[in-house]
Amino acid sequence: MKRRKMSKQVVGYSIVGAMLLALSAPDLGKGLALTHVHHPAQTYHHKSVPTLAPGSAESILPTEPGAQLLAVGPSTPGGSVAPKPSEVQPPGPPTTPRAERPPSPSPNQPPGPADSAAPPPTPTNLQPLYRLGKLRIHVIDGRTTKPLSGAEVVLIETEQRLTTDKDGYTGWFEAPIIRNPRYRPLIQELHGQLGVVVYKNGYRDSVHLGIRIHDEAPAQATVWMYKIGPGDTRIEPVLYEEPYHHLWLIDLADRFRSKSQLGEGFQHP
Amino acid sequence: MKRHYALAVAGAVTAATCLSPMPKAQAQIATVYNTSEPPTIRVAIRGLNPWGEPDPRGRVMWVQNVPFNQYCEDVLPNEWIPSWDVDALKAGAMAIKMFAWYHHLHPVTIDGFTFDVDNTTNFQTFEYLSRQPETTAAVNAIRNFAYVKPNGEIIELNYRAGDKDSPNWQYRNAQKMAQWGSEFWAKQGRTYVQILQFYYMDRRLQQYR
Repeated sequence: MKRRKMSKQVVGYSIVGAMLLALSAPDLGKGLALTHVHHPAQTYHHKSVPTLAPGSAESILPTEPGAQLLAVGPSTPGGSVAPKPSEVQPPGPPTTPRAERPPSPSPNQPPGPADSAAPPPTPTNLQPLYRLGKLRIHVIDGRTTKPLSGAEVVLIETEQRLTTDKDGYTGWFEAPIIRNPRYRPLIQELHGQLGVVVYKNGYRDSVHLGIRIHDEAPAQATVWMYKIGPGDTRIEPVLYEEPYHHLWLIDLADRFRSKSQLGEGFQHP
Repeated sequence: MKRHYALAVAGAVTAATCLSPMPKAQAQIATVYNTSEPPTIRVAIRGLNPWGEPDPRGRVMWVQNVPFNQYCEDVLPNEWIPSWDVDALKAGAMAIKMFAWYHHLHPVTIDGFTFDVDNTTNFQTFEYLSRQPETTAAVNAIRNFAYVKPNGEIIELNYRAGDKDSPNWQYRNAQKMAQWGSEFWAKQGRTYVQILQFYYMDRRLQQYR
């Protein structure tokens, strides 16, 4: 299958098209995550996938017909949950993550034509669109495995902030299913991956990366936190990174196996 | 002299009786009727590789006693994909449970540690507290049932990854379930019992609770 290179412009037009499609279907987001949607793994595995242009990786969208695409809500510091899918609107002004936002024009700068009309969306100022899944975080004390209430959980990708209840759980919230764009042309990952940072007074910060999130099933992750003791002089965050699912690793290794160098060979009973 | 001879013969016979190997009583077959589900399982935790993942070749660091049902809950999401069809998950839950139950009855000793299973793909991938709602529901759905031989014997239900989008007939011939095959059949509308029947022949579902 021949792979086609897509320029940034083409990618931008396809995103605009996807957004127009989303706008024309107002109830697109109803029942997201728990509804029966086509599994993207099946889609990407059989389709030719464009080679990613540098800097545009996150803008390549799942574009199969009928796919439910939603914008990730803006960061909600202090908020407990993300906006409901029905409330999520494609952005008027660009609402890319803070670090990626283009610098705002100086107040002294004369208003140009761009101020009177919205600038044409480009991959750099468009908010990426992702499917959403349900996620909740469970925070426990790493030594006693008792739940920790009142811990603050920040989802890195969206900057959503949540607080754990008396059982150590955050509420269920919607989170984007982001698959590693590096692997998209090679083999579709079986699940998305997210990261959280958890803060709790008296404890080391915990960074938990690679949380698996699925299209059609709610996901939860347990974050272990460690109390700061009197002997702790150099206090740094604790990192835990969830490994890839081994079914995906088998797939990945099999994909590039040649007949002349079989290695461990294809899976067999 | 005769008396001494008789005593010597009697002694020799006694000694021979004592030293000769006794006919071994046939080991009792562990069935679902004479064996109860283990309350806990001993999981050997192996050392991590440099990337922080449990290494199947790593040294055993300690043995963790885990409640049996919790063990199944913390294996299923790491062996099956939680977003798969519910019947694929139930078939997986049954295979994981029977595999663990069998190995609980046949523990091993390595590096001075006695355990039933380890936490890697040597046995089944186990990650403490990694349970997911969908997989936990599948484990609980089959909790009262076992998949055993017609005489109730508890046997190891083995499985392998298999190929995507395929019924994986070759795994049926090998009496192993294909994980991808379970999802394939579930998408075709097969129930979890039908999926188990496809891959494991001459077994039956037995309620034991």
